[in-house]
Amino acid sequence: MANLRAVGKSVDRRDGVDKTTGRALFTSDMTFPGMLHAKVLRSPHAHARIVSIDTSKAEKLDGVKAVMTHKNGPKNLFNAAAPMFLTVSNLERVLDQYLFDEIVRYVGDEVAAVAATTEAIAEKALSLIEVEYELLPAVLDAEEAMSENAPELHAGKGCTPEGKNIPGEIIRIPYGDVEKGLKESDVVIEKSFTLPIVKQVQMETQSAVAQVSGSGDVTVWSTTQTPHPSRAILGQVFGIPASKIRVLAPPYVGGGFGVRIGLSGLAEAIALGLALQAKRPVKMVYSRKEDFIASDTRHPATVTVKLGAKKDGTFHALDLKGIFNTGAYCGFGTELPGVCGAMTLAIYRIPHQRYLGHSVYTNRTSSGAMRGFGNPQGNFALEQVVDMMADALGMSPYELRLKNIMKVNDPWCLPFPCLSTELAECMKQASESIGWEKRESLKASAPHKVRGMGMAVGTHVSNAWPFCVDYDNAYFTVQSDGTVHVASGVPEMGTGVCTSLIQIAADAFGIDMDRISLSFGDTLTTPFDIGSHASRTCYAAGLAIKEAAEDARAQIFDYVAPYFDVTPEMVSLQDGYVFVSSLSDPDAASVVSLDDVKEHKQSKVSLENIAYHAHVRNKQFISTGKIVPKNAPPWHVCFADVEVDTETGKVDVLNLVAAHDVGTAVNPMIVEGQIEGGVVQGLGYALTEEIRYNDSGVQTHSNMHSYMLPTAEDIPPMKSIIVESHDPTGPFGAKGAGECSLVCPASAIANALANATNIRFTELPATPERIFAKLHPQN
Amino acid sequence: MNTKLISFVLNGEPVSVRVDPFELFVDVLREKLQLTGTKKGCGEGGCGSCTVLINGEAVNSCLLPAMRVEGTSIQTIEGVEDNGELHPLQTSFIEKGAVQCGFCTPGMIMSAKALLDKNKSPSKEEILEAVSGNICRCTGYVKIEEAIEDAAKTLRKAAVKGESHG
Repeated sequence: MANLRAVGKSVDRRDGVDKTTGRALFTSDMTFPGMLHAKVLRSPHAHARIVSIDTSKAEKLDGVKAVMTHKNGPKNLFNAAAPMFLTVSNLERVLDQYLFDEIVRYVGDEVAAVAATTEAIAEKALSLIEVEYELLPAVLDAEEAMSENAPELHAGKGCTPEGKNIPGEIIRIPYGDVEKGLKESDVVIEKSFTLPIVKQVQMETQSAVAQVSGSGDVTVWSTTQTPHPSRAILGQVFGIPASKIRVLAPPYVGGGFGVRIGLSGLAEAIALGLALQAKRPVKMVYSRKEDFIASDTRHPATVTVKLGAKKDGTFHALDLKGIFNTGAYCGFGTELPGVCGAMTLAIYRIPHQRYLGHSVYTNRTSSGAMRGFGNPQGNFALEQVVDMMADALGMSPYELRLKNIMKVNDPWCLPFPCLSTELAECMKQASESIGWEKRESLKASAPHKVRGMGMAVGTHVSNAWPFCVDYDNAYFTVQSDGTVHVASGVPEMGTGVCTSLIQIAADAFGIDMDRISLSFGDTLTTPFDIGSHASRTCYAAGLAIKEAAEDARAQIFDYVAPYFDVTPEMVSLQDGYVFVSSLSDPDAASVVSLDDVKEHKQSKVSLENIAYHAHVRNKQFISTGKIVPKNAPPWHVCFADVEVDTETGKVDVLNLVAAHDVGTAVNPMIVEGQIEGGVVQGLGYALTEEIRYNDSGVQTHSNMHSYMLPTAEDIPPMKSIIVESHDPTGPFGAKGAGECSLVCPASAIANALANATNIRFTELPATPERIFAKLHPQN
Repeated sequence: MNTKLISFVLNGEPVSVRVDPFELFVDVLREKLQLTGTKKGCGEGGCGSCTVLINGEAVNSCLLPAMRVEGTSIQTIEGVEDNGELHPLQTSFIEKGAVQCGFCTPGMIMSAKALLDKNKSPSKEEILEAVSGNICRCTGYVKIEEAIEDAAKTLRKAAVKGESHG
């Protein structure tokens, strides 16, 4: 596109200086006069009833200003995740949680909270609370939880024909006739896969500071990814009108990856509950351990794939089933199985498909959203079965995929069309980069080592529709000096929206980025927005800003047209100057004032002059963008080259290449950062990251030392490739870019491991222990 | 409680502050001295967000008893700019896209600075080792490594010209 000055450029991030100098403020940095510190007493039991709780000694401790338990806490049922507020109209909301309940349902569940003048006093007060528990039977495994004899976690909720403890809707996606399709297939392959519990481990733990004014207005500084929905959730938890609540980031959020779509754990609600009692500001910062045990993990899952193909490699039928362990509270337990099914079915053109998926309550930490949102679980299963099918048919996995991948306007199960895909080009460029043609002749570096290559492909979404409510708004104001103020409700959690949204605004309006400022992540100063999830921020908030900018442009054209003596359609705005579109060389045109333009039609007028001209005539150019986004599939591949030590089971990843079609890359440097960061999270998912539980329901990997995150020294050579397409539904052709990168790496690495060892690894992470056990079954 | 007045040099200026025997230095920095640039990501030496320089060595300030700081020279992220000029590490982190959420960035820059203060021509392995105790969950480390390499290059050029970057 000819006139793009900002979109498509790797401009420096707006928050760069603040974040490299220590000036950037996060919720956990906030402090206020008279501020109290909150600490939470958590259940040591996986399932129990609180028979009695005595807080009198804690209340008497000097410095303690508020104590909250199920006896005096709010009694409104809620869902701490965004479905509380964003469930679509054809699904029923699952509200299954009180801030404090007399039943505790996992190790870490909230029993009581204390606000005191120092953290140490709050901690001491917790030790003075006396609780008597009656232990209840607990269930940790999803299959067991569905059985007839399993304890019921939420009385009256989740008894279905499929089993017990199933919250919300069972997701069924019918497409064609899968039974018929499987019968008509020449080869059918069926396999089940087991996915582990992994954690977002965003660097800033769940945090909030709540302040209540004398008139009852509430302000909550928060690490949420979704300020506006979080305001609505808090309103319902406490029965406070949403219009009296302000939720904002201060202004930065230390990462998210899905862990705070809705409340940040329960940090906002705990801080606010205590602040309402104490009438003083209260700060709640989760310890890292609390973040592990008492805020959402990724859903562990069992995914079963049955894929049928014709002899020539044409996929003919796909039957997919996913069972997700959602832990103690439902959270995203209805939406996430839906996304798993939809994203896994949408990769290939298959006439007969079926999906069944649902969540199961167990006595573990709740599972929720994590980058990819159900997609990595399904992708890991399907992409390995595709490789197995290639083996069965004697075809190359590359050619088999190329034959079956979705093309523009192919029919599929999703309720929006596929209007762009460069997946084939992504495959081509990534395969060339990694040297895929050498796959059959790879040489290992030692006799006891074997080497292999694998690939995987996938898609995702660019916003949450039709899985969740999704629309967006923006304010756009041209100030009387001609500079622009944009307001958008999305927070800046690291993904660069405070830069890329300005790039979109600059080109949509026609001025330099330097002349635009952005308010974000604050419910008081921005219009309603859904927040940062579902890879939607740049796409959906970007569309709202673009629409607002175009409206403001139109207002300006209406205002100036009579001065130019032309119709508004004949006016243009670029680089901060307004001129008649037919002007041959706007760059060279002389600058005049609006009052003089009639005499000099081959001139241009600065926005500054126009805005002030209008201002002194009681007129301002101010607009809103109100959009309901369509949706668009980004596409992506990952290729892996690995070497396995057959004596130890250790895996060396020798090379990882990811190629992504995210439409127009609004800021390529930021997009590369999204790809690289997600690929490394995928590397952890594949090889090292896992939270396990002991039989009592206690997490055995609940800190930075035992949960094996990739470090700088674990990173293999990596390449990220951007293959641009232009999606007609996105701002300047952009699609979602935030989540794709974590979807395929584990699938590609598993396929590479199978290529190296001739063994299929159906369980993640592929640790040396698991690999050794498979390589040496006789031991 | 037994408290003790400790004195040390902080970002080039003498400081005295009263601390408790078991107080950790990260809390002194963040709460008593209001220097919140140093972040607390785990409180158990597992993430490196709280890295500061003590006599030029990178340490996790969440594991450092405040009393041990007596008589030392401490540098935090707030002291890295030189007379209002960004340090080459800060510039390179911005220009190379090594910053995302920004929560690990101060600690990451301090670990990198400890390396570059001593070694302006580090190998890729030395760079990765220097920041191997700093967890970044956003970037995948690729651009962080590039930024540190780029800053080293700038520092070498400056050394040739005789400029200084403290």
